[in-house]
Amino acid sequence: MTPDPRDTVLDHGLLAEGTFEPGEAPAGIRRAPTGIDQLATEHLIVNVGPQHPSTHGVLRIVAELDGEEIVNAEAAVGYLHRGIEKLGEHRRYHQLATLMDRGDYVSGIHGELAAALAVERLMEIEVPRKAQWLRCLMSELNRIASHMVWYGTFGLDIGAMGQFLYAMRDREAILDILEEVTGQRMMFNYVRPGGVLEDLPAGTEEKIRAFLRTIDGYLDEHDALLGGNEIFLKRVRGVGTIDRETALSFGLTGANLRASGVPYDVRRDQPYAAYDELEFDVPVGATGDAHDRYLVRMEEMRQAVRMIRQCVDGMPEGEVMAKVPKVLRPPAGEIYACVESSRGELGVHLVSDGSDTPERFHYRGPSLFAMQVLEEIMPGTLFADGMMLIGSVDVVLGEIDR
Amino acid sequence: MALDKLTGENSIAFIRSEQLFDWARRNSLWYLAFGIACCAIEGLMSASGPRFDFDRMGVFFRASPRQADVMIVAGTVNKKMAETVRRLYDQMPEPKWVVSMGACANTGGPFREYPNVVLGVDTIVPVDVYVPGCPPRPEAVQYAFIELQKKIAEQTEGRLAARRDQG
Amino acid sequence: MLPDATRVKSLLSHFDGVEVETTTLGVVARVAAADVPSALGTLKASDLDFVMLVDLLGADTGEEIEITYHLRSFSRDEELFVKTRLPYDGVLISVWNSFASALLPERETAELFGLTLAGHPNPKRLLTIEGEAPLLRKSVAIRTLEEVRDR
Repeated sequence: MTPDPRDTVLDHGLLAEGTFEPGEAPAGIRRAPTGIDQLATEHLIVNVGPQHPSTHGVLRIVAELDGEEIVNAEAAVGYLHRGIEKLGEHRRYHQLATLMDRGDYVSGIHGELAAALAVERLMEIEVPRKAQWLRCLMSELNRIASHMVWYGTFGLDIGAMGQFLYAMRDREAILDILEEVTGQRMMFNYVRPGGVLEDLPAGTEEKIRAFLRTIDGYLDEHDALLGGNEIFLKRVRGVGTIDRETALSFGLTGANLRASGVPYDVRRDQPYAAYDELEFDVPVGATGDAHDRYLVRMEEMRQAVRMIRQCVDGMPEGEVMAKVPKVLRPPAGEIYACVESSRGELGVHLVSDGSDTPERFHYRGPSLFAMQVLEEIMPGTLFADGMMLIGSVDVVLGEIDR
Repeated sequence: MALDKLTGENSIAFIRSEQLFDWARRNSLWYLAFGIACCAIEGLMSASGPRFDFDRMGVFFRASPRQADVMIVAGTVNKKMAETVRRLYDQMPEPKWVVSMGACANTGGPFREYPNVVLGVDTIVPVDVYVPGCPPRPEAVQYAFIELQKKIAEQTEGRLAARRDQG
Repeated sequence: MLPDATRVKSLLSHFDGVEVETTTLGVVARVAAADVPSALGTLKASDLDFVMLVDLLGADTGEEIEITYHLRSFSRDEELFVKTRLPYDGVLISVWNSFASALLPERETAELFGLTLAGHPNPKRLLTIEGEAPLLRKSVAIRTLEEVRDR
């Protein structure tokens, strides 16, 4: 039997306390032997991204590691900076939707809606009731599609693959509906200042109802597949806790803020479109860890389904577009309009000088603020958990760099 | 070359090694999982999802450029990103191909007027197939891969023909 | 919801030249640039309870840069906008001590408007590479159609 090398070490008494005095190495020994508990490891700088499968786009994280533990982390962005704000100053108000779609590209409807709301509030346009309901319907459909992307990729960050395929199945079903209504799978350009592009085409309502018949069961299945997985729970519970104060101070919104225990939802607290007529609950987390953020988003999908049901059943009759001029010239002034996008409060800050293009067009992306908090919560976690945390706050880079 | 010939009466197939390798390459085009912007959701994520299922064509994603054959440039490339795109391209082993996906990668797209945006990724790396659209549908990317397969086959035939002419 | 303008004014009364007005945006308080960090700190600590900096943005007015701070109080459901003006070569003083959410937007604003950042823990460029012009200034033009066509 070969002797265990550790035994030999112990036999020499190297690990026993007090047997070794530093600085007393006898002649002929190069280096004074040290116990493994005295071994100091060098900190290692690891660069993640901009090309990395778990950074959700082109996010770059530079992490300082002590062994497996993250000591310090810095997020480097700008790899997708393409001037949405600058180009907005050179576009007409109708054309802002094209830019907003490509900001938060996973949930385009919300971006368009924020821009349209800003223009409408500045020009005091009365939007027809049916258009308001259609906006809610499309927003909620888009919210589920967007959360499905989050759900699929969040699992990928932890090492699960199956849920991604199921999430994509459900997302495709929603994209089919969105495509039928708007003509595009992602860049919808559907919500315009004054209303929406078109009414639901014939047969779409039946398609939405068919989707509603299956989605409840599928959502339970999703929850069981990932949320019921022991490994998943071990990875997310108690990791990346954001307490209430940190969440507020870092400007978190949306599911990230609600998971930290602040019951703020733009849909309920500053209602827009037809949300004041719809019934829904605002889920709130208890501790603010990654698991709470998961639970809040899953519940948000259920609430979205509930709202879609109400929208389909209660859809009013009438016009979908108010009478607005071909070229919009809002009066000089400044306005901030926000919507609850899939990632949080998506705001548009618009300064008009009375001409046909905005004087200043600012896009408040919730992901920018969600990403800031990563630098705060990543230190102290294991490197693998750090990657999971990027998924848990759900960032979209188009919104961060703009 | 038909595979049944390998098992049937004539169990030997004659093929040039170059043709054999290219046949294998054509049918296992592994792309680099390198999504930049919106197009990545369509061209990389939906593409590997259940409906479009690129796996059945042998098209699969790889996380490392060292294992990839194709780079899909899916999104707007700006000046800060340009260096990374070039470096990733240089890290890929030969032979390698580039698919430029979407209006942004082709010409700068809706953001072409912004001074920070590069006007087309072909100013940084050589592009084999351009896919129009904003964003292109996953089917369009599938078609791009079919075109790429044809292109690879043509390149081999062209090389062999040139050698025949010489000899 | 709009906060009480007179209450905001009395809170900020010990700063020089504070103006509070109600515009299409809401209640807007104009503060001198040097006073911004302490003014925001006062508003956060006051009973108005502005605990969150929702947004921070700059705007080129043609003569100077206008910085807008967007504050929100959850307990009172109120929003307040604090504005300040800086010259083109001005110094943007960080407010991250009161509101950590200002960290990245400040870097972005300073970079894209060509301002200097003071009191910031990490005052590096955020979005563009070294040597890029301050892109959001009105004096920086976008590409013309000809430039795009003859790429």
